[in-house]
Amino acid sequence: MMKNVPGSLLLLLVINVTLDAEKIGLRPPGKPVLTMCRSPEKETFTCWWEPGSDGGLPTTYALYYTKENSDAVFECPDYHTAGKNSCFFNKNDTSLWVNYNITVVATNTLGRTFSDPMDIDVVYIVKPNPPEELNVTVMEDKSWPFLRASWESPDKADTRSGWITLIYELRVKLEDDGEWEMHLAGQQKVFNIFSLRSGGTYQVQVRCKPDHGFWSEWSSTSYIKVPDYFHREKSMWILVTVFAAFIFLIAAWLIHMNGHSLKHCILPPVPGPKIKGFDKKLLKYGNSEEILTALVVPGFPPTTSSTCDDLLVEYLEVYIPEDQEMILEESKAERDLLKSEALRSDNDSGRGSCDSHTLLMEKCAQVKETDIGENPVMKEKQRHQQEWNESPLAYAHKDLLSPDMSGGRVKTWPSVFSPLPQQSAATLSQTNPLVMAKQHCHSDSLFPLGSTSSYFNHTAHSTEEAHRHSEFYTTNNHPQKLQARSDLNISNIGYSETPTSLQLPPMQPTSYVEVQEVNRDNMVLLQPAVSKGCCGDGRIDNREDYSKVKGMSSDKVLLLQRDVVSHEMDLSKEQKINGALEADSSSPQVSTVSPAQNKMSPTVDGYVDTAVMFTLPTH
Amino acid sequence: VGKKQISLETFLFLLFLTLLYLEISMRVGTAPICIYGQAGCPSSSLADFFDRVIQQSSRMHGISSSLHSESQNFLPRRNFIGKRKCHTYSIPTPDDKENAQRLGREQMIEVILRLLEAWSDPLSQFHLSMSPDQDQDFNQYGSNKALEISDMLHQLREGMKILGALGNSVTFLSPESFVPVSDFSFYKRGELNSVDHHNLLFCLNRDANKVKNYLRVLKCTTFPGTDC
Repeated sequence: MMKNVPGSLLLLLVINVTLDAEKIGLRPPGKPVLTMCRSPEKETFTCWWEPGSDGGLPTTYALYYTKENSDAVFECPDYHTAGKNSCFFNKNDTSLWVNYNITVVATNTLGRTFSDPMDIDVVYIVKPNPPEELNVTVMEDKSWPFLRASWESPDKADTRSGWITLIYELRVKLEDDGEWEMHLAGQQKVFNIFSLRSGGTYQVQVRCKPDHGFWSEWSSTSYIKVPDYFHREKSMWILVTVFAAFIFLIAAWLIHMNGHSLKHCILPPVPGPKIKGFDKKLLKYGNSEEILTALVVPGFPPTTSSTCDDLLVEYLEVYIPEDQEMILEESKAERDLLKSEALRSDNDSGRGSCDSHTLLMEKCAQVKETDIGENPVMKEKQRHQQEWNESPLAYAHKDLLSPDMSGGRVKTWPSVFSPLPQQSAATLSQTNPLVMAKQHCHSDSLFPLGSTSSYFNHTAHSTEEAHRHSEFYTTNNHPQKLQARSDLNISNIGYSETPTSLQLPPMQPTSYVEVQEVNRDNMVLLQPAVSKGCCGDGRIDNREDYSKVKGMSSDKVLLLQRDVVSHEMDLSKEQKINGALEADSSSPQVSTVSPAQNKMSPTVDGYVDTAVMFTLPTH
Repeated sequence: VGKKQISLETFLFLLFLTLLYLEISMRVGTAPICIYGQAGCPSSSLADFFDRVIQQSSRMHGISSSLHSESQNFLPRRNFIGKRKCHTYSIPTPDDKENAQRLGREQMIEVILRLLEAWSDPLSQFHLSMSPDQDQDFNQYGSNKALEISDMLHQLREGMKILGALGNSVTFLSPESFVPVSDFSFYKRGELNSVDHHNLLFCLNRDANKVKNYLRVLKCTTFPGTDC
C-alpha cells in the first residue's frame, strides 16, 4: 500500500495537473488547416496552413508529406522561406506529375493534432506571378489615336524554354469611370486598345495564367493620358450639323410651299353647309330674283359620281296598270324592290343627274313618260292607284322613264338622276338642274310632289325667269302617265309617247301647282299656283325644303313627310287648303302645302323642298 | 449541248485532279523537311507542324481532363482513391525542367512516342468496357470521348513518327518494348467498374499533360524564339 501511494499520488498529481490545466483553459492544439499550395513557375511550390487554436500552450507545427506510390514520409524541408505557417519545396524536392500527400501536425505539450491531408499534383497548382514591365503608349493612326500595351512574362516563369505557357488578360478603365473592360490577349505580349475618349486618362492592368492553373494577381496599374484629338471629331460634327441644317431648311421650304395642302391633309376642313357660289347675304338682303339667279349655281348637280352615290335615292318604281295612274308612294318594301328593279331595268341607274346637270335636264324634260301602263302594280300601288283614280289630284311623283323602259315602270324621281337616254335632253334648257338635284340628293325618300315639282322647276328656256312651275297632270281614267311637266311644252320634247297619250285635264295646258305649306303632320298641301310669286297665305317656301310624299289622304291631299322640320306649320292654312282642295275635286289640282317660310323669299311657287339643303348647281 | 457536255467533263476532270492533288499532298511526302539550322530551308514549315502537333496534344489533354472530372461524379461515395498505379509508370519520364532539358531531342521524341504507344490499347479497352448497364450517362459520354482520344492519339503517334524521322536517329521501337505486357493486365481484369474507369482516366489525363509539356519543350528547344 505504501508502494502504491507514490503511484496513486502521481496519478493524482497528473489528474490535478490536467484538471488544473483545463481549469485554466489549456488544451491540446486545435486542428490546423492546410489552406493552399501554390507553385509560381512549375518548379517549386509552397504550402500554407492555418493554425488552429493553440490551446494556450506553445504549439509547434510540422508538415509531413508522402509521395505517390511510396510510403516514405518526409518532412518539410523549409519552413521559413515562404513565411510563417508555410512550407517551401525547392526544386530538388519538387516532382511533377507526382501526387503529394501533405499533412500538417500541430503539437503542444498536451498533445498533437493532425490536419486533414491534402493531395496535390504540382502541375495543377501553378499560379504565376503577375506580368512585368507593363508599358502603355499612345500611337497615332491618322489622328485617331489608340493605345498599345506591352508587357513581359513574369520573371520566374520560364516561358522561353517552353516549360510553361502563359496566356494573358488585359483590363482597361477610364479613370473615375467605374467599369473595367476586359480583353483576352492569348499568348501575345502586345495589345492595342482603340475607341478612346479624347483627353481621357486610362488605367491598364494585365495578368496571366498557365493553360491549366490559376490566374495571377493583377499587375501594377499603368496610367496613360490620351491627347485631345477632338478637333477631328469637331469637324465631323460641324459637317453633320451643316448637313442637318441644310436638310431642315429644305424641309421647311417644302412645307411652306405645300403648306396649304398639308394643312388640308392634316386638318381637313370641317365641311360646313354652304352653297357653293352662293352668297348668303343675298338671302338677307337680296330680292327674290337675285336669289333665284344666284341659286342657279353651275356645277350642280355634282358631276362626280362618287358623291352621287350618296345622293342617290332609291328608286321608286311605279307600276301603273293600263287604266290607272299611279301615285307613287314609297314603302319600304317597295322601295327595295323598286330599287332593285330599277337597277335591273335601267342600265343607267346609279348615275343620276348628279353626273351632269344636262342629264338632269334631260330627265326633267322627258316628263316622265311613265310608261307604266302595262304592268300590274304591286299591292300598295294598286291601292294608291285606286286612290288616284278617285282623286283628281295629280300625284306628283313620277319618274322620268327612259323611253326604252319597258314594263311600264316608273321610277321615282330619284331615278331621274339616272342617266337618261340621250335623245331627249337636248332641247331642255340647262337651267335649274339644281332644284332637281336637290331633291335627288335626299336619300331614302320618295320625293314628294314637291320634289317632283322641283324638277319641273327648271326653266326650260333661258329666256324665262327662274320660275319654276310644276305641272301635274292626272288623268284618272286614262292610260295614264304621270307627268310632270316643266315649263317646256311637252310636245317640245322628243318623246313619242308622251304628247300624244297625254290626256290633259280640262284645264289650261299650263297650270301650276304650288306647295302651300306643310302641316304639322308633315303633310304637304299643294294648291294650284295662283300666280307667280303669289303665295296666298302660304309662304311658299324655298326649294330647300323638300318633303317626301308619305301618302295621300283621301282628301286629295298629298301627304308629305318632312325630314327636317325647320319651319312651323300653319295649320290653318292647311285646313283652308284642304277645303279648297276638296272644293276643287274635279280639277286636277294638287295642293301643296308649303312649309313654313324661312327666310328665303317665297318667290318660287309651289315647290316643296325637303328639309335637306342642297347645293344648287350653278349654271 | 456539246458545249455543256464539254464543260461538265472538264469540270469533272478538274475535280478529279484537285482531289488527287489533295490526297497526295495530304500524304507525308518525301520532300525534304527542313530542320532548323540547315541552310536554305525555311524553317517555318516545321515550326508550323510543331504547332499543329502541340495543338492536337493540347486538345487531347483537354478531353481527357473533362473525362476525368466527369468520371469523378460517378465515383462511389467513399472518395477512395487508394493506391493508384498507372501502367505507364515504368516508362521513365522527366519530372522536372532540368531533367527534361537534359534529355535532348531524340530522347524526348522517344519518350513521347512511348507514352503515346502505351495508351492505344488501354483506350480501346476502355472504350469496349463502357458497357451500357452501368453508369448510363457516363458510358455514353465516355465512350464517345474515348473514341475521340483514340483518334487523336493515333494522329499524334503518326506526327511523332514524322518528327522522329526528322532526327537522324530513328529509333525503331517495337510496341512491346514500350510497355511491359504485364501492365496490361492492370486493365484487363474483366469488367472495369467506375473506380477502374476513374483511375484509368486519371492516368490518361496525366500522361496527356506530360506529352503536351514535352512537346512544348521540344519545340522551344528546336525553334527557340518563336512563341517561346
